[in-house]
Amino acid sequence: MAAPDRDESLRATLVGALSSDRTGLGVTALPGAVWIALLLLAPLAFMTAVSFVTRDPLTYQIVWEPSLENYRDLFVGGTTEYSLGPVGFQATAFEQAMLLSYAIATVATVLCLVLAFPLAYAMTRLGDRAFKVTIYLVLLPFFTMYLVRAYSWRLMFGGSGVLNQALGAVGVGPVGLFEYGVPAIIVGLTHAYFPYMLITLYASLDGLDFSLVEAARDLGASRVDVVKDHIVPLALPGIIGGSLFVFVPSVGAFITPQILGLGTVQMIGILIERRAIGAASNAPAAGAASVIVVLTIVVALLVVFRYVDLDELGGA
Amino acid sequence: MATETDERTEPAERTDEEFGDRLIDWRTREQLLQVGLYGTAALMLLFLWVPLLVIVFLSFTESPNLLPFEGFTLYNYTRVPGEADLQSSVVTSFGIATLSATIATAIGVLASFALTRYRFRFRELYRTFGIVPMIIPGVILGVGLRFYFQFLLPVEPGFLATVLTHSLYGLPFVLLIVTARLYTFDESLEEAARDLGADPLTTFRDVTFPVIAPAIAAGFLFAWVRSFEDYIRALFVSGVEVTPLTQWMFGKITKASAENLNLLNSVSTLVVLVIAIALAAAMNYGNVSGYVAGTAHEDEEE
Amino acid sequence: MSRQERPDDDGSRRISRRSYLAAVGASTTAFAAGCTGDGGTDTINVITWNDFAQDPVVNSVEENLDVNVEITTSTSSTEMFTRLNEGDDFDIAVPNNNLVPRFLSADLIEPVDMDVVSNYGDIYEKFRSFVDQQFTQDGDAFGVPIRWGWYGYAYNTDEVPDHDPSYRIMFEEDYVDTDLDSQIVMYDEAAKTMPVAALYLAEARDDPSYEEALTQDDRMTFTEQQIQDMRDLLIDQKPRLEGYISSDTTFIQEFQQGSFLVGHSGRNEIVRLQENQGVENVEFVVPQEGAMAWYETAVVASASDNVETAWEVVNEYISPGTGAELARAGKSPSCNPNVADELNETEQELYGRIDPQRIERFIPFKDIDPDVADAYNNAWEEVKS
Repeated sequence: MAAPDRDESLRATLVGALSSDRTGLGVTALPGAVWIALLLLAPLAFMTAVSFVTRDPLTYQIVWEPSLENYRDLFVGGTTEYSLGPVGFQATAFEQAMLLSYAIATVATVLCLVLAFPLAYAMTRLGDRAFKVTIYLVLLPFFTMYLVRAYSWRLMFGGSGVLNQALGAVGVGPVGLFEYGVPAIIVGLTHAYFPYMLITLYASLDGLDFSLVEAARDLGASRVDVVKDHIVPLALPGIIGGSLFVFVPSVGAFITPQILGLGTVQMIGILIERRAIGAASNAPAAGAASVIVVLTIVVALLVVFRYVDLDELGGA
Repeated sequence: MATETDERTEPAERTDEEFGDRLIDWRTREQLLQVGLYGTAALMLLFLWVPLLVIVFLSFTESPNLLPFEGFTLYNYTRVPGEADLQSSVVTSFGIATLSATIATAIGVLASFALTRYRFRFRELYRTFGIVPMIIPGVILGVGLRFYFQFLLPVEPGFLATVLTHSLYGLPFVLLIVTARLYTFDESLEEAARDLGADPLTTFRDVTFPVIAPAIAAGFLFAWVRSFEDYIRALFVSGVEVTPLTQWMFGKITKASAENLNLLNSVSTLVVLVIAIALAAAMNYGNVSGYVAGTAHEDEEE
Repeated sequence: MSRQERPDDDGSRRISRRSYLAAVGASTTAFAAGCTGDGGTDTINVITWNDFAQDPVVNSVEENLDVNVEITTSTSSTEMFTRLNEGDDFDIAVPNNNLVPRFLSADLIEPVDMDVVSNYGDIYEKFRSFVDQQFTQDGDAFGVPIRWGWYGYAYNTDEVPDHDPSYRIMFEEDYVDTDLDSQIVMYDEAAKTMPVAALYLAEARDDPSYEEALTQDDRMTFTEQQIQDMRDLLIDQKPRLEGYISSDTTFIQEFQQGSFLVGHSGRNEIVRLQENQGVENVEFVVPQEGAMAWYETAVVASASDNVETAWEVVNEYISPGTGAELARAGKSPSCNPNVADELNETEQELYGRIDPQRIERFIPFKDIDPDVADAYNNAWEEVKS
């Protein structure tokens, strides 16, 4: 171990590198750039490439020839009557899965927002000790494995689940709402991502100057006005950021619909998983579906970031 | 609002009694609202907790269902030590989480310095893509990396592929927490140290690191937990032979026999217990809640 | 609106065919590098069902042959195919019979070494004819049937009255005098559920072509029209479902909880319910329209370094001794009737010898004809939407 010498020279090189702005930037930024390029951008680019080839239905091998077939299949050839307001069309399985996922994610996001707001607001008004206890009570479910939380709702819902059994014990039910299916999935997603919303909201509400609120009240503003004119604008970055953290993963959810849907609710995550490694085993078709999902998310993000700076979303 | 204005314009016409009534009325309303607010807040905490408490309760019962109630037992826990598959999956998950969180922390801390200390052309882009792995749906990240490893790289699905995947997934958590801390860091301290002749490494070790260490620890913790609890990304890249804890658990859920559910209930309870203790310790030791809520800088600058 | 959305060709990053090929080449080399043998006692890597990993089964093989058996358990034949197709280092896979042609088309497996698999001649004649029909090329068979079973449906005898067994109970509201809305479960798997729809339609429409598509060829040769009819039937059925279930254990648990009354199921699940759980209010029946049978089939990977030893292990799985352990582990009869000699009387009743006459009635599961594979997969996706 002639380490000291080598350590010293290594150290000297590092010091030299860090002393110059140019190399300092290189040393700090490069590893992350390489990681993102190799493990995020390259795979997404490759997935996009794969989505433009096909798979031989006989040998299940990929045929490396360009084709738009997978994209055509996503949108053409649907047979299920579907109406979106006044527009009626024949939806493919993919289109139905997209619409369903976006609808479920929207409801879960709104629920999270409506439910988290009072708690976040209350938390800003708590004393030190009460705050510590509350944040502990919020963080513990947050840190508890996602899978465990989804599973806990599996026990709650279902014909013989805790909710229906409890109702049965007092002579009511079983209630269809508490069966597995879309309502169970919405509750599961709301529970799963609620803490994201709460923490993001809290972080933005915490900056709220309550003397302003009091002043507004003294000046005769109604509660609704205070909330509308003072609290919401201040909390807006939190509301948008929190919604993002709930909405995007909800759209692509897999575990929750898989566990709480009993095979009857095909959200987009399930559809993609089935195509990627399920019985149909069609990588290019899975790739095409993924590309479209990514595109819709990117569009949504671009819209959001026109209004909020990413910096303000930090912390969650 | 109209009545309140009335109150202000014509207070003189009121008798003291009437005014007192109004005041009490106002106070009751205020109190009711207060109760309503805290009541809703408490209900939310209940919503977060009831399902977990149900698991804890059921882990001590004979049947994995609430009814018919068949009595309490510790039997579900006595089975845990005998489950070889369970133990190896816990070891696997610990290994993957620790390695991937270490990589994510190393890269994430460096990147945080790049973002906060340097102005460069693609800074915004760099930051955005640094956060994308957290936001992009797990199914898509998993599918993309699976194809990539499978067709393009000589990395077969397995331990290494999972570590690499999770190291990317953990990166944004480190990045967000550490950059937030660095933004509020008083750079004049570093300048002072440098003026006194300390080289960049010494400055980092003696001045910067002690201040940002809790943020780094929080970032590591986040990345670790995210890896440990991930199912979907690992599903695509872990292969048949590597079984993280989440896959073991998912198997018990899909093969939902009474036996399996009983065992799963006790394992889930142990998970909640371990995390409860770890979190309590972390909160007493460091300002975890502050980092999570993004308020750390206010609490312990200087 | 999404109808108009089209991926932007220019914006997407395409990889030229040449680099595709280069990539494939690189990964193949890597896979090849991963496959190296070792001396001494051979280790045979098997990817298969959990039953094969049970100690009595593994021990029985290792006692009778000088090998180490390493079992990797899997819960789906598709997964076994995918692993082998991706170049994973397995000597043996034991998928369901319907997947074997897929292994064969992808050039992954070896012809059966009949000199080594000496028990092959003992298995039911019917299964040997299945092998001839489904995966024999130029006179070479490519898989060995190991165990088998059949699907029908089970119902709760407390709630559902006696009736003539028929798939009509799943699709027709007034077939029995019980309200079955949300009380039926089907398999969460196209390969199991689509044939049920076909068998029902064959009778209901008095159109044998639906059944012929299952029996005539080595693949399911439905027309696109037939696939659409099956899809529509299954979509209409959805209000009657409690859900689609993907595992036998869930079936058992949900049945005991009283979550459903009628369930498409394999016979071995019901044997488990009756034997292990002491459930008495369950009856398993084979519908008059016909029933699908599975048989798991051992194949040996071409990439294996120990092809001969691998076939010895396969032969062991249908030998009376090890075969009996396997039958016990999975409550399913062996494809070799002689295995029954090693079972006690109760066991024989549950998963012993079956009268060859009865076997005649069963239709083996098959993979879908590649010509309509996409239509078939799309139809199933739409059913699940």
